[in-house]
Formats: sequence, structure tokens, C-alpha cells
Amino acid sequence: MKVLSKKNLTGVIIIVLCVGIAGFGSIEFTSQWEEDAVYAGPGVTEIKNLSDYFADLKGTAGDTKVYVLEGEEPGGTVFVLGGAHPNEPAGMLATVLLIENIQVSKGKVIVIPFGNASAYTHTEPQEAYSREFAIETIEGEERTFRFGSRYTNPIHQWPDPDIFVHSSGQTLSGVETRNLNRAFPGNPDGYLTKKIAYGIMELIRKEEADVSIDIHEASPEYHIVNAMVAHQDATSLAAETSMELQMENIRISVESSPERLRGLSHREWGDFSDTKAILFETANPSQGLFRGRGGSDLVLSGKDDFYLRAAEMDLLYVPYDEEGKPIEWRVNRHLRSLEMVVEVFSRNNPGREIQFKNIPSGERLVNEGIGAFLLSGE
Amino acid sequence: MGNEALVFVVMLATFVVLSLRLKLPIGVALMVASIAGGVIAGLGVPISHLVEGTFAYLDEILIIATAMLFMKGMQKSGLLNTAVYQILQIFHNKKVFLLLSMMALVMFPGLITGVSTPSVLTTGALVAPVLLHLGMSRSRAGAIIGMGSIFGMLAPPVNIPIMIIGAGIDMPYMGFTLPLLILIIPVAIFTTLFLGYRHIKIIPWEELKKGMPESNFSQYGWKLYLPIMFVVFVMLLEKSIPHVFPNLGLPLIFLGGSLLTLVTGAPFKFSPMSKESVKESLPIMALLAGIGMLIQIMTLTGARGFIVVNILTLPDIFLYLGIVISLPLFGAVSSFASATVLGIPFSLALLGQNEIWLVSAVAFVAGLGDLMPPTALAGIFAAKVVGIKKYSRILKHCIIPAILMAIYGLFVIIDGEFTNWLEWFFLGFPIITVVVLILIIFFVIKLIRSPKKEKEGTVLK
Ligand SMILES: [Zn+2]
Repeated sequence: MKVLSKKNLTGVIIIVLCVGIAGFGSIEFTSQWEEDAVYAGPGVTEIKNLSDYFADLKGTAGDTKVYVLEGEEPGGTVFVLGGAHPNEPAGMLATVLLIENIQVSKGKVIVIPFGNASAYTHTEPQEAYSREFAIETIEGEERTFRFGSRYTNPIHQWPDPDIFVHSSGQTLSGVETRNLNRAFPGNPDGYLTKKIAYGIMELIRKEEADVSIDIHEASPEYHIVNAMVAHQDATSLAAETSMELQMENIRISVESSPERLRGLSHREWGDFSDTKAILFETANPSQGLFRGRGGSDLVLSGKDDFYLRAAEMDLLYVPYDEEGKPIEWRVNRHLRSLEMVVEVFSRNNPGREIQFKNIPSGERLVNEGIGAFLLSGE
Repeated sequence: MGNEALVFVVMLATFVVLSLRLKLPIGVALMVASIAGGVIAGLGVPISHLVEGTFAYLDEILIIATAMLFMKGMQKSGLLNTAVYQILQIFHNKKVFLLLSMMALVMFPGLITGVSTPSVLTTGALVAPVLLHLGMSRSRAGAIIGMGSIFGMLAPPVNIPIMIIGAGIDMPYMGFTLPLLILIIPVAIFTTLFLGYRHIKIIPWEELKKGMPESNFSQYGWKLYLPIMFVVFVMLLEKSIPHVFPNLGLPLIFLGGSLLTLVTGAPFKFSPMSKESVKESLPIMALLAGIGMLIQIMTLTGARGFIVVNILTLPDIFLYLGIVISLPLFGAVSSFASATVLGIPFSLALLGQNEIWLVSAVAFVAGLGDLMPPTALAGIFAAKVVGIKKYSRILKHCIIPAILMAIYGLFVIIDGEFTNWLEWFFLGFPIITVVVLILIIFFVIKLIRSPKKEKEGTVLK
């Protein structure tokens, strides 16, 4: 038998090492492919899939669960999208709390917790996100949730073009091709992200949603944060909501959706359907550029020394202090905004009212934590 | 908070020791530095993060791999040597044009690959003997080739530092062509003439020919140039009508171009050529993978946040100083790493003025990093090509052009008005542009004509 030369031997060793490392790494990577558990609360009347609205999504990485919570009495419909950007966890958690807690008496609430399901299956290189975070329920169950990427997983959609050309003609950098919130109104014949966007558009149109909310977060150094961005058809709704929230000491500014900026939910949902489209933002340090070493603790506590320093130097667009931006605080803002939007809309649109109860209160959220409102299995 | 600083220092020190003292390949040194960062931060060896980081520049790695293939194909098919031959045939009796055309040749592979090394190794290697034949010293020729490769790397259409910064601050890679040209062309002209004008002599074509690569033109005719025409044509189509023309992507275009070289010139076998090109581009691909790892670990350990916040909280004057000093210095790892680690926060700190000009100028200054040892992609390969051992001899010649680049870049960064003026100047009045470029040429010639002996004299006859 011929003995390997020294050079070949080195080659073989390196290849074996690479395969080993890749194999070891892939155990962790593939663990993120598993969906997070969401338990249907007492108010859930039907669980559908996005592919029920747009059949092409069936069997793809873009299909995702749609939770319908319908009241006894007829009324209006509100659609709530979480997880369009899986690195913005408060949006997803707010929708999970809706699914597991609220009971609708009038009208319909439709919720998607994981808007871009593909983007939940990976994280972004160089961002070093922790892949998941855990919250303990009252029964002591550890509920884990994935922290994903802003972009569709490249194993589901690749390669990116050099330039992303939106159907309106707007051009952005190539990676935005995989950004769900640049892909609206979608395209039934497009690549996966456009298909997901199209499915969501179809849902809004087929369900005749009166109000549609897209829940996000932004890094504290981003200029639109702590805000609602409203389509022109929803401006008065958003403005009235913001005023009422202010009376409850929750400060949220209203920005109007710029006409020129295409592909975003608050622009295209309003333009391509009859819904009133609003996007919510809170400040999330765990997705930001300034963050120090945080991991999953930072996702939950929102406390970070570097952000504190940046705030002292006036580099942030939100007030930021030693308290940080805890997840309960962020989720609470989303829930209060949503509750108020629905209340204001119902008040102004008789016949299309939406009424529900048991939405987690701000006081209890902050005192008892998110875990107090998460169900346990069985 | 001190912990993050410690992690950063340990990573940097590990890298410098490994690459400078132990002479490990740069990619490997970066990997070990990343592992050291994880360990010192108490995170052990975060394998999945190390793997994930390497994927950050997958697209750039594909561009470099295929562009290198294309360059090799053009070299083997006789396209490059014929181009050098024909260009010199036209320009050989005018010093200025002779030098500038050689600079353009050196820059060319860099324009396409976005990396300095292919410039040095392909057209640089062809131009080097010509420069020596014309009487230039080895170190001077190396400096011209090294600087040219940096200009090529920075010049459009492919500028990887800008792509890297753009990805970090959400800015598409669009609209950079003009600012980059306005930044690079004057400096390239100055550098070439400053370094070369007094140090070559015009020799008759018949004599010059002896020191030149051969031309294959008589054999293959214009067909020889088909691959490059194909690549340029497709790129132009893609850029000018992106709504109509399908996006093929640079890797596919380069692959198409390299397949064309098989049938348009001197015959050669694809497989040894591709092996050779992979061998030459592997260190750069490993470098990019290593940078990806390094940044991932810096983010994981908080060292990235530490640097970003510290840079953003610098007073303006230090900010500007930081840009001209630390950007090139950090190029010790590579200009790409410099763009990633420092270019992004510097750009963020200065956002608000004309962003395309700002990022162009930051990338422009960061490009100098390719002169910085131990990596010194531009310089070290240039030394190899001209056949000298000590790279520092080349670096010495580069100092003045490099300072000029830094100052020019800094002006653009500091003053938004200045960029308006530049744009007005170069775009509004094309004739003035030409006149000014000519004036620059004359000024430089006047400046350096004053008799002064070249001290270092390994002039080849
Ligand atoms: Zn978002």
C-alpha cells in the first residue's frame, strides 16, 4: 500500500478537520430550523397557514401559521403581523401574547407571529446574535424563542443580485432582495420573499382587514424608533391613537409613510388593499451596532453599557438610561398601541367594531414579566 | 467595560505576532486571533460563530475566485501581453503617455476584481520588465505597480471596501462611479508622473521591443479581445438597464469571460489554468474568510461595540486624525478589514453630509492599508514582481503619494462644500476637467524636472 506523502497527509488532515468543524457547527445551525411552540389560547378559533391564502407557498420555507381569533358577534377585522424581521423579538412576542391570551367577543383578530419564517431559520454572519432566548412560564416551563435574521435565509433564496430592483423601479442594495419589509406588495411569480409578501397581501385582501399592524423594532441609533409609521389612509387613526396614548403617559410619535419609499408594509398594504396600514417600532439594543457583549440576556434586559455611553453622548434617538429597554417594556408598548388603535378604530367605525378582553395589562407585564402570560404545554 | 478593550488588544496582538513574527498565512493568523478572542472573553472556542463569520463575504469570495480565473485566462490566451505590446507601440515615444498607459494597464485587473493582488500579478508582472528596460530602478517600478494596484482596487466598477461599508450602514452600492473616478484619477496621474517621469528614458521602438512581452495580434487578430469586450458589454448592460437586463452577477459574467478566453487566442488547458488561479487567489479568499471570523468574534465579545462607540464619541479633530492614521494602519490586517472594523463607524459618525462622497473617501483612505505590513497585499507582491527582497524599499517611494491620497481623502471627508465644488468642477465643465488634468501633468513634470540624482541605483540596462 502506498503511504501518503507528507503534503497529501496535511491536506487530508485539514479536510477531515473542516468536515468535522462544519458538521459540529451544522448541529447548532440546524437546531434553528425547528419551529418555536406557540400554544393556542382560549380565543383561537382556527389555525390556518399562509398557504391557505396563496397556495404556492405550500411546502416552502415561507409558509407560516396564521391564528384566527373570531368573536361571536360580527364586526371589523384587524390583522397583526409579527416577526417580519426575526431579529426584532418584541414584535413576535407581542403577537404570541395575543394568541395565547386574548378572547375576542366582536369582530376578528388575525395574527401571524413569524412573518418571515425562513428568516427565523438562521442568523446573520458578523452579527453574532444568540440564536434563541428563553422565558420561564409560571408553571416553570422554559419557553424558548428563536432570534433570527433580518433577511430570508440564503439557502432558501440565493444569490442576491448586485442591485435589488423593486417592482416600482426603486433600487436598493442587493441584500434587500431578502428583506420581507421591502418586498411588498409581493409577486406571485417572484422569488420566495416576494411570494411571502404576496401571501400576506392576499390575506389582507381576502379577509378584508380594516386595520393592519406590522410590529417591528429598531436599534436605538436608528432615526425612526418609538414611533408609528402610518399610511396616509391611516394617519388620523394613528394620530388619535398617539394622542390617547400620551394621556396614558406612553409617548409614541406618528410618522407618515413616505410616498417614495417603496416595498414597505405601511406603504404597499395601504396602496394595494383597502386596509389602514400602520407599522410600530420600539427600541431594541440587541439588534444594534453599539451593543457590547450581550447575548440572550441583552435581548431580554435591553441593558447595555455602550448604549448608555452613546446616550450620554447624545447619539441615540430614544431616551436611554440604566433601566435599559427591557423586553416587557417594549412588548407593553406594542400591546398598548395595538389596543388603542383597535379602540379608536371601533369608536369611529360603528358596525366594524372589534372587541376583545384579557390582553396583558401594562402593570402586570412590568411587574410579573412576560412569563406570566405565556402558556405551558399539554 | 474594560473587558472588551482587553479582548480587542489580545486579538490584535495575536494577529500581529502570528503574521509578523511567525510568518503564518494571514488567513490562518486571523483565525487563531479570533479563537484567542473567544477564549480570553471566557467563551471558549465558539465554533459555530467561527463558521458563521466565514460566510460573511461569500459573494466577494466568489467574485475574486472567478475574476482571478478570468485574469488568468486573459494571460494565457495572450490577451494581456498583446494589449501591453499594442498600447506601448502607440505611446512609446511620449514619456507622459507611456507612463500613464502603463499605469492604466496595472490598474485594469483591479478594476475588475476589486483586489490589488491580481493587478500586481498579471498586468503588473507584464509592465515590470518594461519599466526596468526603460531604465527605472526596481524599487521605483515596484512602487508604481503597487500604487497602481491600489488605485485599480479602489476604482469602479468593483470597490469591495465600499460594498463592505455600505452593508454596514444600509447603503446600496450605487452612484459611486463618479466620486471614485474624481478621487482616483488625479492622484493616479500625479503618482505615476511623480514616481516615473524623471526615471525613464525614451528608447527607440526596435530596442524597446526586445524587452517586451510578445504580441499575438498577428496570429489571432481582434478576436483576442473578445473576452474583455464581452465582460465590459454585459456589465454595462446590467448597470444601465437593470430593469430589463437580467442580473447575472459578476461571478457568472467573469466565468463566461474566462470560458471565452479558451477559444479566442493561444490555446491552453483549462484545468491547470484554473488550478493556478485558485492557488493565487486562495490567500485572499482565506483573508476574507478570516476577516469574517474576526468581526464575528469581535461582535460576539462586544469588542465591535467598544470600537464603534469609542470612535463615535471622539471629538471631531480626533475623528479626522483617526481616519487618516488608523484607517491605513489597521490595513495591517488588510484594507477590507480596515473598512469593516473602522470604516463603518467612521462613516456612521460622519453621516449627514453627502454620504456617497463620504463613503468613497473613507474607502479611498482605507485603500492605503494595502501598503501596510505585514499583510501589505499591494507592496509585498509588487516586490516579488520586480525582484527585490526588502519591501520597505518600495514603501519608501510610496510615502508621498500616500500622504497626498490621505490629505485629498480627508478634504472630501471634512468639507461637504468641497465635494460640491469637485462635482461642479469635473461634471459641469468636461473641457476644464481635461485642461486641469493636463495642467496637473505639466505641473508635476516641472516640479520634478529639477536635476536631482536618483540615489538608489540598481538600474537595469
Ligand atoms: Zn423591522
